[in-house]
Amino acid sequence: MWNSSFLSRFWQYLLAFILIASVTAVFFTLRNILDTTLIALLYLMPLGIITALWGLGPGITSALITFLTLNYFFIEPYYTFTVHRPTDIVILVVFLMVAVVISQLVGRAQAGLAAATAREREATQLYELSTALTGLNDDRAIAQILAKQVRAVAESEYVELTITGAQHFSYRLPESELPARPPELIVSIEAARGVLGEIRIWRTMPAISSSERRLFQIFASQGALAVERAWLAQAESRARILEESDRLKSAILSSVSHELRTPLSTIKAAASSLRSKEVGWDSPARADLIAAIDDEADHLNMLVGNLLDMSRIESGALKPKREWNILSEIAGSVLIRMKNLSTAHQLEFDVPESLPLVPVDYVQMEQVFTNLISNSLKYAPANTVVCIRARVEGESVHVQVSNQGPQIPSAHLERIFDKFYRVTAADRVTGTGLGLSICKGIIEVHGGRIWAENVPDGMAFNFTIPLTWDGAKPPQLPMDTESE
Amino acid sequence: MSNSPHILVIDDEPQILRAMRTILTEKQFKVTTASRGEEGLTLAAASEPDLIILDLGLPDMDGVEVCTRLREWTQIPIIILSVRDSERDKVAALDQGADDYLTKPFGIEELLARVRVALRHSVQAKTSQGSQSQVVKAGPLTIDLAWHVVKRDDEEIKLTGREYKLLSYLAANHGRVLTHQSILTHVWGPADADHTEYLRVYMRQLRKKLEVDPEHPQYILTEPGIGYRFIVDESSQ
Repeated sequence: MWNSSFLSRFWQYLLAFILIASVTAVFFTLRNILDTTLIALLYLMPLGIITALWGLGPGITSALITFLTLNYFFIEPYYTFTVHRPTDIVILVVFLMVAVVISQLVGRAQAGLAAATAREREATQLYELSTALTGLNDDRAIAQILAKQVRAVAESEYVELTITGAQHFSYRLPESELPARPPELIVSIEAARGVLGEIRIWRTMPAISSSERRLFQIFASQGALAVERAWLAQAESRARILEESDRLKSAILSSVSHELRTPLSTIKAAASSLRSKEVGWDSPARADLIAAIDDEADHLNMLVGNLLDMSRIESGALKPKREWNILSEIAGSVLIRMKNLSTAHQLEFDVPESLPLVPVDYVQMEQVFTNLISNSLKYAPANTVVCIRARVEGESVHVQVSNQGPQIPSAHLERIFDKFYRVTAADRVTGTGLGLSICKGIIEVHGGRIWAENVPDGMAFNFTIPLTWDGAKPPQLPMDTESE
Repeated sequence: MSNSPHILVIDDEPQILRAMRTILTEKQFKVTTASRGEEGLTLAAASEPDLIILDLGLPDMDGVEVCTRLREWTQIPIIILSVRDSERDKVAALDQGADDYLTKPFGIEELLARVRVALRHSVQAKTSQGSQSQVVKAGPLTIDLAWHVVKRDDEEIKLTGREYKLLSYLAANHGRVLTHQSILTHVWGPADADHTEYLRVYMRQLRKKLEVDPEHPQYILTEPGIGYRFIVDESSQ
């Protein structure tokens, strides 16, 4: 049976005949030496082989033919089908019975073996499919693997797999034009919720058998299960994201309403007292109140800006406008602004001009420096040093903003970049609690990494920025060689 | 300035219009307001103001488009107003012919300074291409655009050809913001309009030669995400 796919039934019978004929020819030449009973016995051998190789049909047919040739060539009188001696009749009858019984037994065993092999192959194919599908949570990947496996197993000319869900998509293998004729087999991919799609198979030779049909049905239902599982997982993760953003929103609301009201209260109080004419035109209080309104308006503007940045980062809308920039220029401009704001700290600047150009968004990078430095200034005690330094390390630039402020318990080091996360109680420090998470968002869209660490005399913020941009290295500019 | 300059303010927020009207009238400007783009375009054509202050976020049309349509027929200076983080829009409007920009919220000194610069440039453009603007002074710096000579405190500063071209473009437009693209197109040519890195490097070289403290530039200022601005000492005007 093993070669049934290579030889048609016709060839099996023909080969059986040829074998019987050649064996008969050999026996014929030895007819005078061999006894009739021995020949009958020897005939059983090719019969066994034929049945074992080609199955029950050729086996039984060969048994009947050998019964006739035995009678015709080897039992006297030769060349007739008549039998004279009673012993010969016994030999013939016993031979026929034994031949048929052997053929049947061997044939059945063979058929059983073939069925077992086929079942084993099916089981292996199913196992391979389910292994390939395990752990996949992407419906497209599942569809692709299913289509590939079906094509490999069916050895078909074309396979097209269509999924009709929330999104409609299909895969065809090979990726060329499909044939004009209708497919030979359509298997629908059905799950508990209904039909999810279908597999269309084109294969003319050999025709698709009913067992293959059954196998592809099982393939399709395996695929349906996997696709359903993927959809469920997607729905679940969407739900989790929604829940997370809901939690964030309420956190924003509570933090924001507090933070926004503080400057607003100041502005309202100052403006209304200026209006009430209780404050004289020339009194120093008047200038104070006006300055307060101005400062608090700026503060309010910064808070709103932070919130907008955060929501942009959250929604993935923060797209850096990258250009090759000079890091020392960006950091330097922030430093000068900061120096004007804080005279209580000593600012040390060690960002060499000789650093290669960095592919960053100028405005966003400015914000990172502003937030990190102002955070350092906020927590570090007066008359201490805040140091900004940058070095090239491998393929990136490493920037460190260190201060001599209090160290951060190691449990908090990771979390200080989280939204609204504070090491100290919220009412003791001003700010939205968003500055560091905005830095994290910006550094990450630039493909870098940001972290905090404790250093011997304080703590430090670190970040890296890759020096390559879409695979391009920092440009080496032709220096101005025109005449001086 | 002759008579009182006429300013058209196009903004959709009534509070802003109210504040601008109060402040600018106080400063002896004649003020007209419009709250929609179409209305603004019509008023600009009808009353030919000396300056237009244009908000980029209008309800009926994009501010950049208003800019483009104004520039089809007039060179009236345009100062655009926009909120923070819309650098792309600002650059688009500037490249469409707007003269300057202000980020909301802004201080009134800033607004008035921009208005003064824009009006001065438009007057210069109208009166002459002549020699009066050929020498630009900024603090100790003297840039003679006709003779290609740059001096600091009477001492000549040697610049390369490219550096001089860059500086003269900045100085000729002093007080105005110039976008990266417009500087690159002018100094390097349209093919290099995207090479911001040239600017970064050449500006650093220029600052080293011109500024007293290159790390704390006083004359060549960076406008983050937009471009550069060359500032002459306001008192010397």
